[in-house]
Amino acid sequence: MSLTWRQLRALLRKDLRIELRTRETIAAMLLFAVVAMLIFQFAVAQRSAEVTLLAGGFAWATIALTAVLGVGRTWVPEREQRVIDGLLVAPVPRLVFLVARTVVLVVYLTAVELVVMPLAVVFFAPDTGLSDLGLVLVSGLVANVGIALVGAFLASMSVFSRARELLLPVLFLPVIVPNVIAAAGAAYAVLGPAPDVADYRGYCLFLGVYAVTFGLVAYAIYDYVLDD
Amino acid sequence: MTDPAARRLAILGSVTGALLAAAVLGAFLVAPEDADQGVIQRIFYFHVSIALVSLIAFAVSFVSGILYLRRRDQKYDEITVVSVGLGLMFSGLVVITGSIWAKASWGTWWVWEDPRLVTYLIVILLYAAFFMLRSSAEGERSARYSAIFAVVAFAAVPLSFYSVRVASSFVHPVVIDTAGSKVPGSMMVWFLVSLAGMIGLFFTLLQLELMQRRADRSLRDLKVRLERAAERRLSRAV
Amino acid sequence: MRAFGQRTAVAGVDLVLPAGHRVGIVGPNGAGKSTVVRMLATLATPDSGTLKLFGHACPRDANRARGSLGYLAHDPLVYLDLTAWQNLELFADLYGVSRGRDAIAAALDRVGLLARALDPVRTFSRGMAQRLGIARLTLHAPRLLVLDEAYAGLDAAGTALLDGVLEALPADGGVVLVTHEIERAIALTDEVMVLRAGRIVETVSTAGLDTAGFLARYRGIAG
Repeated sequence: MSLTWRQLRALLRKDLRIELRTRETIAAMLLFAVVAMLIFQFAVAQRSAEVTLLAGGFAWATIALTAVLGVGRTWVPEREQRVIDGLLVAPVPRLVFLVARTVVLVVYLTAVELVVMPLAVVFFAPDTGLSDLGLVLVSGLVANVGIALVGAFLASMSVFSRARELLLPVLFLPVIVPNVIAAAGAAYAVLGPAPDVADYRGYCLFLGVYAVTFGLVAYAIYDYVLDD
Repeated sequence: MTDPAARRLAILGSVTGALLAAAVLGAFLVAPEDADQGVIQRIFYFHVSIALVSLIAFAVSFVSGILYLRRRDQKYDEITVVSVGLGLMFSGLVVITGSIWAKASWGTWWVWEDPRLVTYLIVILLYAAFFMLRSSAEGERSARYSAIFAVVAFAAVPLSFYSVRVASSFVHPVVIDTAGSKVPGSMMVWFLVSLAGMIGLFFTLLQLELMQRRADRSLRDLKVRLERAAERRLSRAV
Repeated sequence: MRAFGQRTAVAGVDLVLPAGHRVGIVGPNGAGKSTVVRMLATLATPDSGTLKLFGHACPRDANRARGSLGYLAHDPLVYLDLTAWQNLELFADLYGVSRGRDAIAAALDRVGLLARALDPVRTFSRGMAQRLGIARLTLHAPRLLVLDEAYAGLDAAGTALLDGVLEALPADGGVVLVTHEIERAIALTDEVMVLRAGRIVETVSTAGLDTAGFLARYRGIAG
């Protein structure tokens, strides 16, 4: 087993162990997501008969906002318990920190998605079949990679900055807008009035391109983020 | 003025001024009036060239961001921040001119189906965050984060454009095609003059701001040196 | 021959540490001690000049040097929400310590925390957390210890443990000890450097040092 793989596994296990002990992040994200869906129901859906069209949009607006919570929690134990220096003096390629964070965020976002998507279907598009729900979830998984990657990247900068709670959403949300547009588009292509497999594939491809693009950007410049 | 940089700037500024004046005259007096859209179409000469120049500004910030990360030279940080600022200013003008055009053509200030307008709104939000990030970190870190974010944001620009365009073309038929592709030759000439003028404007403002920042910096250095010298003399006297 | 040198250049700080050398860095607050030590620990990059650790240029090849480096500061640098064992397991994996379980058990035993291995650090006293920090410091058998005011937060037991770590270092093990306690620096190192306003203003060998005279001089320098 290579050292890098061992380091990655150790960092993942560390984050999940802390999450299992404190149970802070996922619980907060899930509660927030459900409340956000309720707000959409009462603010928008109750006034309109054609909410089926909006199901994917509601779900993705919710996931994007919920992601802010999860991304905001990364590096928080390190900062509050002042362990950052302990990690940074270890012989870990800086990219491994980013990959570990990204994987943890993908796990969190997937958990959120597994709650939000079925809820969106039940609340707003009750006639949806299981296979359609599956398609939406698959495109969501691809979207999660991009969101998690960008979030983990930007969180590593905002954690060392002033006013980080305010800064992070302002940095993070505009960058993931294209991803959210495409993810909502993919959901619409499945749940909308005229399901279109070609559109769905196109959006999924875009989500993949998005993740790969930022993967390359991170690969090229992430070292500089932690290089004080 | 003996400073060669200042002389170059003066020349660049004069050429830019001449080009912009020619563009205004050409666009409003010489170029033929568009048969469908009438006088409002003349805003196209400026709208599109401003849009292109704002992309050039962000591209400059992208390149100088990479150069800063490689060389850690404050010069590149200054280019990055000034370019982003100018890019934002031009983007704001794009939205304003685009909005005027939309009002004249379709009777509404905002058209979600126009991918350019929507993209520029996203781009403005994206680069506004640049300044927030920059001011929330200190010293070298502030410059480094600025450079990193300039790279990240520039990667997001084409993705934003593409996602907005694809989303609107899937949901609605495309109402607007790219304005540049169907213009007759005489319009194209004045468009190019306007584009050259706008590019000149960008580089003039960039140079001007950079010179001012450099002057500020050398003034600060001088002040620090003077204070140190005074301190040394004082300690020797004691 | 092994090239084993560190060179820093912080506003004119220039130092080379041969293998096995122990150096103390002292100076008044704001002298730049923490900047120097953070550079040596690869936590900060010099704005200009070069830093080489064990012959590896930093920050480019910092990861090759980091494995041989042990860093301890005021904080123990361990997670409060993990157990003592889980903390050391994490760092053993990050440093690629072979036979990790044995090494962790031995390290915990050395600092007297084996019985509390499965308790979360949050339940520890400050002294116990510090001892766990010392276990983390030595887990990967570093060749250079960078100690940034590491004694400041230690109780008597922790102080004795850290003294023991320094004594047990192999002959080629180097130490950089940054402290405001001059007496401790003199007692534990071969050479003491006085840092003031980002520059080394005096370097003295501690062998046969006229301690009283140096202290008087230091107070003059530190103002």
